Amino acid sequence: MSAPAYAACVALVTALGLGFAAWAHPAFLHSSLQNLGLEKAPRAMPGSFYITRIAPLFETRCVSCHGNTRAKGQLRLDSFAAAMRGGKDGTVIVPGDPGASELFHRISLPVSDDKAMPPSGKSPLTADEVTVIRLWIAAGASGEMRTIKGAPKPVLEVRIPESDPAAVQKQRAPLAAAVTQLQARFPGVIIYESRNSADLEVDASLKGAAFGDADLAALMPLKTRITRADFSGTSITDASAPALAAMTALTRLRLARTQVTNKTIGSLASLMTLKSVSLIDTKVSDAALAPLRQRGVLVYGGGNE
Amino acid sequence: MSDPVKEHVLVWDIPTRIFHWTIVVLVALSWFSADQGSMRVHLWSGLTLLALLLFRVLWGLFGSTTARFADFLHPPRKVVAYLRGQEMALYAGHNPAGGWMVAVMIGVLLAQALTGLFSNDGLHFTGPLALWVSDDVSTRVTGLHGTIFNIILVLVWLHVVAVGFYLLVKNHNLVAAMFTGRKHSRHVPAGLNLSFTRLSNALLLLGLTAVIAAWVFFQGVP
Repeated sequence: MSAPAYAACVALVTALGLGFAAWAHPAFLHSSLQNLGLEKAPRAMPGSFYITRIAPLFETRCVSCHGNTRAKGQLRLDSFAAAMRGGKDGTVIVPGDPGASELFHRISLPVSDDKAMPPSGKSPLTADEVTVIRLWIAAGASGEMRTIKGAPKPVLEVRIPESDPAAVQKQRAPLAAAVTQLQARFPGVIIYESRNSADLEVDASLKGAAFGDADLAALMPLKTRITRADFSGTSITDASAPALAAMTALTRLRLARTQVTNKTIGSLASLMTLKSVSLIDTKVSDAALAPLRQRGVLVYGGGNE
Repeated sequence: MSDPVKEHVLVWDIPTRIFHWTIVVLVALSWFSADQGSMRVHLWSGLTLLALLLFRVLWGLFGSTTARFADFLHPPRKVVAYLRGQEMALYAGHNPAGGWMVAVMIGVLLAQALTGLFSNDGLHFTGPLALWVSDDVSTRVTGLHGTIFNIILVLVWLHVVAVGFYLLVKNHNLVAAMFTGRKHSRHVPAGLNLSFTRLSNALLLLGLTAVIAAWVFFQGVP
């Protein structure tokens, strides 16, 4: 055989081989054509159902194994074009037909099935997530459609941060000595808001009339950390107004059945974090409460009650 | 009537031939097992490949004449001249172009075996040394493992095309020579003086590389 004839044979066999690869792995063909710019890659529109509902789902549940760095079964789900191309065994999404879509079939299998996706050891998709994918495929697996009737509403994932005892201890450290000392002086009155917080709650109502202005003044070392304070039924008076105004982290304040008057309420105007104040059975007038109410502070009692 | 034994000259030793065909089988097995998700088979195939490739590197330093890198790695100028048909010398072992093809093939296969050790399939399989690196590195190496596989496919195709060229165009059957170890005397230089390293040495080197592969395997056993 001559060299040119052999070269022609090699070219032919190579072309046949590539043709077979393209036939056996259409995703490979489309990927190559799209990368070479010879085929337009389908794109999903911003705000489309795919972008807002399907892509985030693929991203959190599938892309770790079917993405850029790893593409099991040569399937990538990290873009609309890649998802529609499918994997080594062909397309996995058949627009309009969830039953014929391998992707839907796999996520619908029982967890015990070897072919179930995500595979054992990983959390299966929720019923709502499976429904969202089914409805999207049934509606044509479009990259443009914005809404799909009957699709379950998205569930916001709430993540509770893990406790970091060292960080909490560090936050509490500056006032730790003062807190310990005052807790000893007022047993059961001062507690931390939670295990993970350096903020404090004060419940002086336990002491009743035995808790007066001088006692409240004694709390001043903690003034920036007190978020909730209950002085109901104590003997505090307007003399405590400056001390209350200095508690700049206060969100909830109870002054029910105390001797406080409009003077104290006027000084509370500077507490920008205050959300509610209880003034039941006090001599506070309605007019004095107006500024607080205008700011959206919830007022219980006071005024004309 | 001519003596067929004298017409054919022994050029390839037994270890080199066994290495060649075992590599062919193991590359195919590695491909098939990965494709089928039989990762246990893939692991054993890969480790065997690693042991054989390490052996081949040692054999290229201490083995028989035609197996040695010094015998078949020629300067680039000589390779270009050979490819242009300006270099008419005969070679008992690999020719200048084929020699570099072998070196590149060994290097790429070795890279593939080594990256496989640090890879994971994201499910239930991790390479024996995958825990030596972070998840991120392991994932990147896994991607590289897939890329190198495509390079291997191209190299294998080039190798087959070259062998076919010799067989069909130059009437020189390299495939048969790699089975029998012998080349026709018209394809080898006159007055050839090849040395063949003893088989026991090959077994010693193979034992050493097998121990290395076994050690690698046990790194992955919890």
